[in-house]
Amino acid sequence: MNLFRSEEHVNRWLDGRPPGDTLPVARLCDLAHAWWGDRIDPAWRPHTLTQNQAILDRLGLVGEFWRVA
Amino acid sequence: MDESDIALRNLTYELFVAEGRAPTASAIAAASSFAMSVAEVAGGWRRLADAHALVLADDGGLRMLNPFSAVPTRYRVHAAGRSWYGNCAWDAFGICAALHVDGLIETTCVDCDDPIAVHVRDRRPDDDSLVFHCLVPAAHWWDDIGFT
Repeated sequence: MNLFRSEEHVNRWLDGRPPGDTLPVARLCDLAHAWWGDRIDPAWRPHTLTQNQAILDRLGLVGEFWRVA
Repeated sequence: MDESDIALRNLTYELFVAEGRAPTASAIAAASSFAMSVAEVAGGWRRLADAHALVLADDGGLRMLNPFSAVPTRYRVHAAGRSWYGNCAWDAFGICAALHVDGLIETTCVDCDDPIAVHVRDRRPDDDSLVFHCLVPAAHWWDDIGFT
């Protein structure tokens, strides 16, 4: 799960390997806030797979690649 | 995950955030108001690792307290007057998210090694040209979390 200068850099780094999914950094930032925003809250409780899937779905990260289970 | 393990988990995060580095089991035992021994801390961490609430190193110490990394990585995050390492790009942004503060992420492009410095202000990155690549499908993230 890495940052790149551009999609061209991703493709060069993959060097023919099957790609995963590439997102604009702004979308990654949204994802990070949705996923980690409650992490140090003393009231934190473990996320269920359903809750995690809902975060991905809400951000439009859908399809087999983004199915958590 | 029972309430005592959640209390241990919360104290572990509290010390990691306060000190900017991973606490040892001894430090947790010394700081614990619920009087845990070092062995009890280690046992609690193992249960939390089994529940994917943290990741342990081979020596039983912390490796990941997601989104924080206990070991140096290519993702350095400066926020709230301290600095931490993130486990990956997602976690680097996650540190700002977890702390609910602005921050600066310093890393390099994995392809070309060019330095990248991106500020997060009001939950937005200041360089929209960058992209994030996730190589491993979500269902397999925990197969090898270090690689993911």
